[in-house]
Amino acid sequence: MRALPAPIAASLIGALPIALIVGLWQAIAMSGIAPPSLLPAPGTVFTRLVQQLGSAAYLDHVATTLIRLFAGFAIAALTGVTLGVAMTGSRWAGAVIAPLVRVLAPVPKIALYPAFILTLGFEDASKIALVVADAVFPILLATSQGTAAVEPKLAWSAQAAGASRLRCLLTIVLPAALPSVLTGCRIALVISCIVVFLAEMITSTDGLGHLLVRAARSFQSVDMFVPLITISLLGLLLNAAFNALRRRLLAGFPEAD
Amino acid sequence: MIRPGPTLAPLAACAALLVAWEIGARLAGIDGLPPASHALAQIPAILGDPESLLHIGASLRRMVVGFALGVAAAVPIGLTMGRSRHVAAFFNPLLMVIYPVPKAALMPVIMLWLGVGDASKTLVIFLGVTLPVIYHSYQGSRAVEQKMLWSAAAMGMTAPARLVRIVLPAALPEILAGCRVGLVLALITMVTSEMIARQTGLGNILFNSLDMAQYDTVYAMIVIIGALGFVLDAAFEWLRGRLVAWAEPSHPIMVGTT
Repeated sequence: MRALPAPIAASLIGALPIALIVGLWQAIAMSGIAPPSLLPAPGTVFTRLVQQLGSAAYLDHVATTLIRLFAGFAIAALTGVTLGVAMTGSRWAGAVIAPLVRVLAPVPKIALYPAFILTLGFEDASKIALVVADAVFPILLATSQGTAAVEPKLAWSAQAAGASRLRCLLTIVLPAALPSVLTGCRIALVISCIVVFLAEMITSTDGLGHLLVRAARSFQSVDMFVPLITISLLGLLLNAAFNALRRRLLAGFPEAD
Repeated sequence: MIRPGPTLAPLAACAALLVAWEIGARLAGIDGLPPASHALAQIPAILGDPESLLHIGASLRRMVVGFALGVAAAVPIGLTMGRSRHVAAFFNPLLMVIYPVPKAALMPVIMLWLGVGDASKTLVIFLGVTLPVIYHSYQGSRAVEQKMLWSAAAMGMTAPARLVRIVLPAALPEILAGCRVGLVLALITMVTSEMIARQTGLGNILFNSLDMAQYDTVYAMIVIIGALGFVLDAAFEWLRGRLVAWAEPSHPIMVGTT
């Protein structure tokens, strides 16, 4: 028998643990050790998922979650990139921002959520603020590390050719740091996805996280799995889409991995 | 030896944040944002109350247990992944699928199975910790110089011994970088799952005081949790510096969330 080509063999090996887990899930559900109210069969959950993805009410909740997610991510990306470039561009800005980041980055941002609720209300604003708080740090750190690592000769030649410092930062340093900036953004995007869901679980009247909590309150175990799988799939899809975008934007960058 | 710069700057940053909060709160004058001084005044009361200390202690114990179990499981997986193509191919797709799952959101499901006790909370923390530690151990183990392993093999060292005696120490800086992320994630997961489950712990005190409109206590708890994050991270950085002083200093933390 001829050996399979390496990439196919690798993806077969990789499919194994996932198949094992689904198989085990199916086996436990069928054996009756766990009643369906605790562990519904995988088939039941996936049928329900497909059914829900076709329902307008469910998609409304998905849209609510996505709006909060993208609003928070966009604000975080804008703030993070601006502050990150400022840290590299100005020694003063660096001296002010770096210690603040050192103090705030390891703080569990979710603990700030009650403060956001008290100041911004129970609606969208507090959830978006939490997403911003969580997503801004990876972007900021990746931007400042990326821009600081840019070959200084590039900036020197531009400045020698008469470009102002700001112009040089925006047209030379930032584009040269793009691979790092986009990596930070990709990490932040998945974080945003997770955080918006958690915020909706803690207090909300709509969105995917709320659906999970609502199902948990009425012990509808199938409906608990569906939002959980939906948000995980959304995270996977956004991650893959962002990777594709990153490859397009970075076509021609030698160091893009 | 303590260099003045890196120690003083974060303290100055803390002071600046507190002053900004105090002034901002006094200017805004809303109930939901008490001045920093009022919130800080509540901290001794919280830390002096035996019941809340018990809660905080229980939270920290679960966090430490979950973190230790997570590291103990993740490091061997990551190291073998880095040294064997097949093991890496086996685990990588699974880890990719698990990566975007909000771990703390599993709390209600796990509570159905394991009840509301320590087991479910520790399991959720364990899940939050393992992924970054596996990832960093994998990267560290992959980067180990092949020649060192060849020389050891030529001298008759067996494969498991090579993993423990060569790959583990060589990958240690990267493993510890993963543990640093894992530690902060353990704290985040702990607080988040307690906010979701609302049974015991720091996250529960936080939301109970929110429900009872004790806003000063809410903010005091936020400060306590925030300080805990900063102190844990700084303490781990110090330990890391001692253990792997020979390695390059790590990058600033890029923490994810669960």
